[in-house]
Amino acid sequence: MELTDADLVARVLADDDQHAFGELVRRHQSSVRGLLRQLTRTDVALADDLAQEAFLRAYKNIRSFRGEARFSTWLYRIAYNCFREDARRRKELVGVDEDQWQAEQDPQTVDPGLRHDLMHALSLLPLHERTAVVLCCQNGLSHDEASRVLEIPLGTVKTNVLRGREKLKRTLAAWGPN
Amino acid sequence: MNELEQEEWLDRQLREAGPYIDDDGFTARVLASLPVTRREPQWLRAMIVLGLALIGTAMAYFLSGGGSLVRQGVIQMADFPIWLLLVFAFGCGLVVGAFAVIFAIRKTPEIRDLTRLDF
Repeated sequence: MELTDADLVARVLADDDQHAFGELVRRHQSSVRGLLRQLTRTDVALADDLAQEAFLRAYKNIRSFRGEARFSTWLYRIAYNCFREDARRRKELVGVDEDQWQAEQDPQTVDPGLRHDLMHALSLLPLHERTAVVLCCQNGLSHDEASRVLEIPLGTVKTNVLRGREKLKRTLAAWGPN
Repeated sequence: MNELEQEEWLDRQLREAGPYIDDDGFTARVLASLPVTRREPQWLRAMIVLGLALIGTAMAYFLSGGGSLVRQGVIQMADFPIWLLLVFAFGCGLVVGAFAVIFAIRKTPEIRDLTRLDF
């Protein structure tokens, strides 16, 4: 039987079990790195550095995880804080590494042209709308969970998702279902 | 195409456009960057500290002639003016309080991040 995230966290807390923490990293690395790639406008190297920093912080502060939210929600919050601090340090966000981004997409599931337009449209959204859309629509968080991750009111999250969605729909109108 | 269909289509495209990112050594890099694990269990560390404290107390008691040094100290302090004792007590309270605040901040990541203190 596969251990739950809560079981693995309990092992880390009880025995400082780094193998259990490694399993948590393996489970969540894709979604955390994906989120950070969206936030950094697909700067893969920066996103991975921030993801590594986020997991390191998660390990050091795992005692502050009280199990009130999903482990992934807690991780997203740490990752988002890492991104915010880095952005504050840099004062500006870096550009888009389109080639590397495209190379990592799976060409079997989504039309490459649509994916390109979708990712481009997403990267053009303001940061607060892009973050809300990625968390709620792409990563499947509820509005309530996203408001905890971003530390903003629930109503603001809903507004940001709504506005972001509207802009994406307008931009991708030509691709929509017939 | 209605509004709901459009939203469902967009959400599906967003989910499918965010594919699984291969680990590609990422987990190994994270694990390599973790601090070295302290293997001693908590109870063993607690026993070591308690044992050392008891040994230190016993040594101090016998070396001071069965606590006569402490008795003399208390008698001398009783002769001090009351304002000096109050200042001393207040100073001790301040030092203990400062250590308690520092400890509390170190143990609470949210406050530590908020205050941006690094100690």
